[in-house]
Amino acid sequence: MLALRDLQAALAGIVRGEDQPRLEAAVIGDAITAAARLRIYRHHIEQSLTTALAATFSTVQAIVGEDFFRAMARRYVAGDLPCQPVLAEYGAGFPAFIAGYEPATSLPYLADVARLDWALNFAFHSPAANHLTPADLSSLPAERVAELPLALAPGTAVLRSSYPIDRIWRVSQPGAADETVDLGVGGVSLLVLRREDDAAFVGLSEAEEAFLSAVERGETLEGAAEVGFQTGGAFDLSTTFARLLALKAIAATQHHFVERVEKAL
Amino acid sequence: MNTTRIAIASALAAALALPATVQAQGNMEKCYGVAKAGKNDCQTAKSSCAGTSKTDHQNDAWISVPKGTCDKIVGGKLTAG
Amino acid sequence: MRAVAGIGLRSPHIAEVAHDRPATGFLEIHAENYLTGSPALRTIERLRGDYEFSLHAVGLSLGSVEGLDDTHLERVAALAERLAPALISDHLAWSVSGGRYFNDLLPLPYTEEALDVVVGNVLKLQDRLKRQVLVENPSCYLGFAHSTLSEPAFLGELVRRSGCGLLLDVNNIVVTAHNLRLDPAAWLADLPASAIGEYHLAGHAVNDADGEPILIDDHGSRVSEGVWSLFDAVLERHGPRPTLLEWDTDIPALGVLFEEAARAGHALKVRAATDARAA
Repeated sequence: MLALRDLQAALAGIVRGEDQPRLEAAVIGDAITAAARLRIYRHHIEQSLTTALAATFSTVQAIVGEDFFRAMARRYVAGDLPCQPVLAEYGAGFPAFIAGYEPATSLPYLADVARLDWALNFAFHSPAANHLTPADLSSLPAERVAELPLALAPGTAVLRSSYPIDRIWRVSQPGAADETVDLGVGGVSLLVLRREDDAAFVGLSEAEEAFLSAVERGETLEGAAEVGFQTGGAFDLSTTFARLLALKAIAATQHHFVERVEKAL
Repeated sequence: MNTTRIAIASALAAALALPATVQAQGNMEKCYGVAKAGKNDCQTAKSSCAGTSKTDHQNDAWISVPKGTCDKIVGGKLTAG
Repeated sequence: MRAVAGIGLRSPHIAEVAHDRPATGFLEIHAENYLTGSPALRTIERLRGDYEFSLHAVGLSLGSVEGLDDTHLERVAALAERLAPALISDHLAWSVSGGRYFNDLLPLPYTEEALDVVVGNVLKLQDRLKRQVLVENPSCYLGFAHSTLSEPAFLGELVRRSGCGLLLDVNNIVVTAHNLRLDPAAWLADLPASAIGEYHLAGHAVNDADGEPILIDDHGSRVSEGVWSLFDAVLERHGPRPTLLEWDTDIPALGVLFEEAARAGHALKVRAATDARAA
């Protein structure tokens, strides 16, 4: 008799496409054979995980079409089943898989679009945490503010690509205008954000991206500003900072620090 | 106070003084709503029919050619990046 | 909760329900869709004032020999605390092995060994949630030769040893009985009626397996006439309970779900009136 632990491990093997003769022998077959009955479960797992990936990576699917997407996703599913049961959190490894997926080499931007899909999904499922507001800062001398360690708000991500993935994303949405994207326009930097009721992205200038990447590394406002000034491009700290505060892109993790500074004053 | 700090001080003063409406958000692309929320369910996929093919979909990745909005994406070199 | 009919709230309908607040007995949501920080949970919390909720988990893997996943258990417990639903349920099935999740309700052999595993997991779940949970009979596409108990007998033992309740899915009885060549009436007769806390109704598909018809629990159509008549038999034998209409594939307009729920609600009322006259 198959112990429960062995039975469950064997069924996992069926899902991965293995032959499991002991398990097959333990399943009652009739006009519908044991093998055919086991395949129903295997197909469902493949189908349902592929469908979950299609929902998360909807732009990738729009670009390649359903048939190609499902074939690609099936390969990924077989090699990287979920490590937890929440499907909204499944697929973190899919962009890297796409980058190495040979049939997709004619679409070199596809993996970066997948990273954008994933970042939007991640932002959407991140908590709407407190963000830094002008009021948090207005009571402090600017010199103190300069020393604040900054961090991006939960779900916020900076994305760089050598391809115009913002335009590719736009023409791939349902109901998009019938226009083309010329890859020749070059790369882009994007800021992905969790907002009140959805997730969204905006374009970043080179200096803004440098500033935000420094924030992402945990730099102080002063350190991040210096990085921004060093990019050589026109970096307007005032406008950049005002924009980022308005976008709620900076975390309020320094509330306690602000309070400490206030008490010390 | 070094020059960066002076720049920061004046920039912040200006930034904090800007009314929220002035802080243009650029071309914001919204993409998600609660309609995107649910992926887990408890039904069985309709196409989970038992089937008879043992090898299933071994080669379909190579048979299938991308057929989507990739038609709209033109130019560039395949080696770019 | 009173013996009324409700619907499974799925994402395409959330905005409409949040806006129109249509009348229904209760709403059921899948726990695993509300464990992240997405805005969807806040929308559900806003509906709490107008609706009773049932929290239906699909990923606790109560039949897993590896035991419950503590991280997932904590997430579900936190959600249950936040929503304070009238009912909490999951399935008599398993979905994880070797730390990998299959997103499927996989079948158990009905043995003493499996019973020990499920009882242990259900006790741990109820202990953490500090309340009774309902366990649902699954749709099965296969049975194991070494099973020593029938499914209803297994559920009966589970109820006796863990103190859990049952979520009786009438469509799943029809699907399993057809696929495993069982008699639905005999299946029903073996069940501990007093433990039943909720009914589920849904549509199924008829597919082809090696040239033989097999029923697939796709929740993708109206409830079949066969399931409606078994529902009447269930009500006659076990009495009215909160009844949920589920629809997960090819989800139609909200109105279609309410039509189906109304038919279930009518059957519940007719049975309650008949029972009242008899009493």
